[in-house]
Amino acid sequence: MIRLQHVSKVYGAGASRVVALNGITFSIAKGEFVVLNGASGAGKTTLLRMLYRADVPSEGDIEVAGFDVTELRRSEIPRLRRSIGIVFQDSKLLAGRTVFENVAFVLRVLGAPRREITPRTFAALKAVGLSARAQAYPNQLSQGEAQRASLARAIVKSPGLLLADEPTGNLDEDMAGEILGLVKDIWSRGTTVLFATHQARLVPLLKRRTLRLEHGRLVKDEG
Amino acid sequence: MLGFIFNEAMRDLRRAGRVGVSAILLIALSLTALGGFWLLSLNLGRAIAQWGDRVRVIVYLKDEPPAARLEELLQRIEAVGGVQRLRFVSKAEALRVLKRSLGSQADVAEQLPRNPLPASVEVTPDAAMATPEGTRALVSRLAALPEVEEVQGGSQWVDGLAQFRRLFQGVGLAVGAVLALAAILTVTTATTLVLHLRRDEMEIMRLVGATENVIRWPRLLQGMAQGLVASIVALATLELAYAVAVPRLEPLLPVTIGLERVAFLSPWQALALIGAGTMLGAMGGLLARGRAHA
Repeated sequence: MIRLQHVSKVYGAGASRVVALNGITFSIAKGEFVVLNGASGAGKTTLLRMLYRADVPSEGDIEVAGFDVTELRRSEIPRLRRSIGIVFQDSKLLAGRTVFENVAFVLRVLGAPRREITPRTFAALKAVGLSARAQAYPNQLSQGEAQRASLARAIVKSPGLLLADEPTGNLDEDMAGEILGLVKDIWSRGTTVLFATHQARLVPLLKRRTLRLEHGRLVKDEG
Repeated sequence: MLGFIFNEAMRDLRRAGRVGVSAILLIALSLTALGGFWLLSLNLGRAIAQWGDRVRVIVYLKDEPPAARLEELLQRIEAVGGVQRLRFVSKAEALRVLKRSLGSQADVAEQLPRNPLPASVEVTPDAAMATPEGTRALVSRLAALPEVEEVQGGSQWVDGLAQFRRLFQGVGLAVGAVLALAAILTVTTATTLVLHLRRDEMEIMRLVGATENVIRWPRLLQGMAQGLVASIVALATLELAYAVAVPRLEPLLPVTIGLERVAFLSPWQALALIGAGTMLGAMGGLLARGRAHA
């Protein structure tokens, strides 16, 4: 599902040169749940951004869901992103729309048939336990609920790969546990998951293969 | 998908608020100015065409030709081309006309020792020649004939009117262009403002895999909708001005520029104005910038 070969990313030049990623190589098979762990600034977000082609590597090759991301033409980026669900630390819900509208927005943007939008949206909300809050606006949600809505939005298009960039970063322990449980449920239904977190205490709870990044280098791949 | 794009465009239009309304008013203003100049130019053109039909060229002859040679002379004049009709006016007829025009003072002409008036040929140019340029060309060709003493073309004032119309069209286009530019900039500002407001939405759209067309079309449609509404406002304003001004102007027209009535824009011309407004709005929408980062 994901394959990186000697991937490096360098920002700036000369004195302001920053190496964000340095010679990263790993593969993730279809259906795997992998944790990407590392302190803030270790390069987790940079790596994830390159997987959905918000950024390009300075060196190396990236393949995601059958797409050669490094060589991908601009016009092909939407096709890559349709196969990926993304969740961020900040839920990025649209303030002027209800939870239902936020989730349905994805299907409408992607041109899903009208008759499918409501049932698929409710199915995604049910999967994250948020059906009862469908008509609430983002400012009426707790942080945990907002993150669950964000998860529903990520899975409503049934992606083969879920990229989670610190989805529990802003949550307390109980809420983080809830989100972890939901992500595991999503994975158990066949979705490949790459879960980035700086919270070392979550790693043993997840009991999954873990990639550890330090200063842009992959220092551990175990589990 | 089309429904989604249309709904998003209408949502953006509502969000544009006062700036959106300003854009509509500016486009309406520029189109009203353009349409107004067009309307006046159209009617001036009709007056010029009408007067073109009445243009006469008078060919004064050195000597009155004998009856046997008159037909040959008329054929030679006709052969210069661009002639619709010819009428020979003998010296005697010219004097009769003069006397008639002198009315009660006609006896002044009686006292002349001889008829001083030249024989002439009244030439009516054909439709193609009844333009200022055509008449000038015809006059110079007729003047080259050996029997001709002098040629007077009747197109000088039509020429002046045509020049005035050209100047008028130029001023109209310049004013319209300046206002159109202002309208495009306002639509661009309105759309950019909306893009700024919906940058989060655009970011999400890009992240979930929306194509650039789905992201851009609402922006284009928003501009087009503004242009469409503005052009309808402009047409309504022109109609209103026409309805108010024409009853006051029409009695003066026959004695000034010779028109019986003032024409309004034809349905096709009105459609062209609506099309121009829609295009102006679309251009503003396309020029708007503000790509969200994704």
